[in-house]
Amino acid sequence: MSAALRHKLFPYAIAVPFAVVLGFPFLWMAITSLKPEYQVYDPTKVWHFHPTLASYGFLLHHTDYLRWVRNSCLVGLAVVVITLVVAMPAGYALARLAGRVGRTLGVAIFLTYLVPPTLLFLPLSRVVAQYLHLSDRLWSLIVVYPSFTIPFAIWLLMGFFKTIPQELEDAALIDGCSRIGALVRIVFPISLPGILTVVIFTFSLVVNEFVYAITFISSSSNRTVPVGVPTDLIRGDLYNWPGIMAAILIPSIPLALVYNAFLNRFIAGFTGGAFR
Amino acid sequence: MGQETDGPVASSDRLTRRELLRKAGAGAVAIGVAGTAVPYSFAGPLRYKGRDLKGDLTIIQWVHFVPAYDEWFDKTWCPQWGQKNDVQVNVEHINNTLLDTRAAAEVAAQSGHDLFFNLHPMASYEDQVINHASIVHEIESKVGKYGELGRLSTYNPKTKKYFAVSDNYVPDPVVWRHDLWNDIGESPATWDHVRKAAPKLKAKGHPIGIGQSQEVDSNMALMAFLMCFGGFIQDEHNRPTLYSKHTVEAVQFMTDIYKRGEDSTIFGWNPASNNNYLYAGTASLILNAISATRTPESLNLPFSDELWIWPIPAGPHGRIGLEHVMGCYNIWKFSKNKENAEKFLADLCINYKAATTASQLYNFPSFPGAFPFAGIRKAAAADSHKPHGKYSILTTIAQRYTHNIGYPGTTNAAMDEVFSKYLIPQMFARVSQGKATANESVRDTMSVVKNIYAKWRKRGKI
Repeated sequence: MSAALRHKLFPYAIAVPFAVVLGFPFLWMAITSLKPEYQVYDPTKVWHFHPTLASYGFLLHHTDYLRWVRNSCLVGLAVVVITLVVAMPAGYALARLAGRVGRTLGVAIFLTYLVPPTLLFLPLSRVVAQYLHLSDRLWSLIVVYPSFTIPFAIWLLMGFFKTIPQELEDAALIDGCSRIGALVRIVFPISLPGILTVVIFTFSLVVNEFVYAITFISSSSNRTVPVGVPTDLIRGDLYNWPGIMAAILIPSIPLALVYNAFLNRFIAGFTGGAFR
Repeated sequence: MGQETDGPVASSDRLTRRELLRKAGAGAVAIGVAGTAVPYSFAGPLRYKGRDLKGDLTIIQWVHFVPAYDEWFDKTWCPQWGQKNDVQVNVEHINNTLLDTRAAAEVAAQSGHDLFFNLHPMASYEDQVINHASIVHEIESKVGKYGELGRLSTYNPKTKKYFAVSDNYVPDPVVWRHDLWNDIGESPATWDHVRKAAPKLKAKGHPIGIGQSQEVDSNMALMAFLMCFGGFIQDEHNRPTLYSKHTVEAVQFMTDIYKRGEDSTIFGWNPASNNNYLYAGTASLILNAISATRTPESLNLPFSDELWIWPIPAGPHGRIGLEHVMGCYNIWKFSKNKENAEKFLADLCINYKAATTASQLYNFPSFPGAFPFAGIRKAAAADSHKPHGKYSILTTIAQRYTHNIGYPGTTNAAMDEVFSKYLIPQMFARVSQGKATANESVRDTMSVVKNIYAKWRKRGKI
């Protein structure tokens, strides 16, 4: 084998095993979603089976699946907007706060992200029910989710804003921009990869969240996908595996496409604060 | 291709692919956004059209494993009861594993459903619920005495309070593959038979399927197993008695069964794992409710006719089983519609024959007079699945071998905590995994159990 060929094949030798390992769950989901339920348990029918769309039909006609998807999207988008509105100015301010205060504040804010929902859902359920009166309403999720998306977004954006030279803003100010104008016209456009990262990350985090959603929402029509699937597709001991796989596969395809479309910017967003 | 990553052509190719994906992604997002615009995303539950009912009643319960039961409950029983009593009944179902979390959240918020159903008696919430005595008395006046199992599970003799009302319980038989056991000339009549058969069955690729994980099926199976060996978590006066030679012997025995005839997956099981193990044709024996046989029947699995159900195997101390699940309704003190909840619960228990039938004999009435055993036996005998009459044994299991959690004492707050923290499966698993000797594991667990009992005794609940 020539050196050129080896050089050509080397990236594939690394990437292909990863791709197979990472892609296999999706393949498995797709296969299982097309199996009749009685063949899911049959070890002789792993690859040879009669494909059917029955699980998709069940999902669409016998559950509130489409409504769960809508609910997830609605909550996700609302939380993304709230997170950006709060985290962008906060991240910028902390990035420009020179010295120990900025760093300490940044770390302190990030630490709040590390408090798990399993510790917070009980006290928060009192807040949601008694003070906000938002039990079983999607607004409860829209209000609570920013408590963990904002800290992470601030921390992420802070690192990103730090990579933007102060001189650019100074130049804008000299040219007559206000501080806000410099932010909107200079800093934010340059920070687009970081902002996109926050958008994708926040949206993914929200549509995957389970503990708060199961705690604050009880009616089927107000559920999000992560709660609706295990609740309505698992009957006691009986798992509707084809239905579950179909329910997971459907939203993961557009999410995978979005990730792929913005992959370079996503990586730039995450590593923005790492290389200065 | 790959080596041209810096070239203009490759760059152009990559942009084209990105462009395609971007458009596809944007399209998907657009569909999602459009979907969110539907206004009824925030809508509440539907009310009866053209009818303005005076009262409300909210109920939360598990997603029953028999779809027909939920169908009957949601679409027949509740609407009919609602119409009759002028009450709007809203039922919400959640996965059974999430009920405890939900209960904790409702108590923390002091707000929630009027009727809260769980699959085990929530004795530790005694201070959060009303005394259900009047409901019990109302039901007893119509259908006769509360079953002993229900009373021991929901009544606190110390505080003289009914902290729940059990509408049903589910017998817990051993489910075994007759064909596989027959091949080796054995049957699971006693635990000794199980131990002897275990290596032979495992060698044929069909291990025993008794879990040692932090989940309800492992909990029930191992607690019942303990009792068959004379090991009891508490005595009839609700005093902890776990640390005994019988318990140590039982733990050692189960370790032996594990080593001879199980595999390590049992330490990570969830409540459905033993079922799936059976449905996949792997397990030769599990302890489970009849969901384990009903599902293969409904899916027409090739071995469904070979699934036999028997009472729990006998141990040195006899054949002592537990209920598989104990359906209990609770009315919170903060419930907004207590009267409706009380009446609903009483009416449900009084008319439980329809519920038992709708559940395909999964739910047995906790008030036996609502559907006497003779009637259940007749219904079971009429079941057409093979081997014919296999479900008839359920009534024998229910009458003779089904006991409450905490037997020979009552189900109480301390017992509830021991149960909810899965201390017994952990005690077994530590030994099976070689992390402790049987004596050490039982002794350590006993010290935790003692602390739990001391705490609840201090609070005046036992």
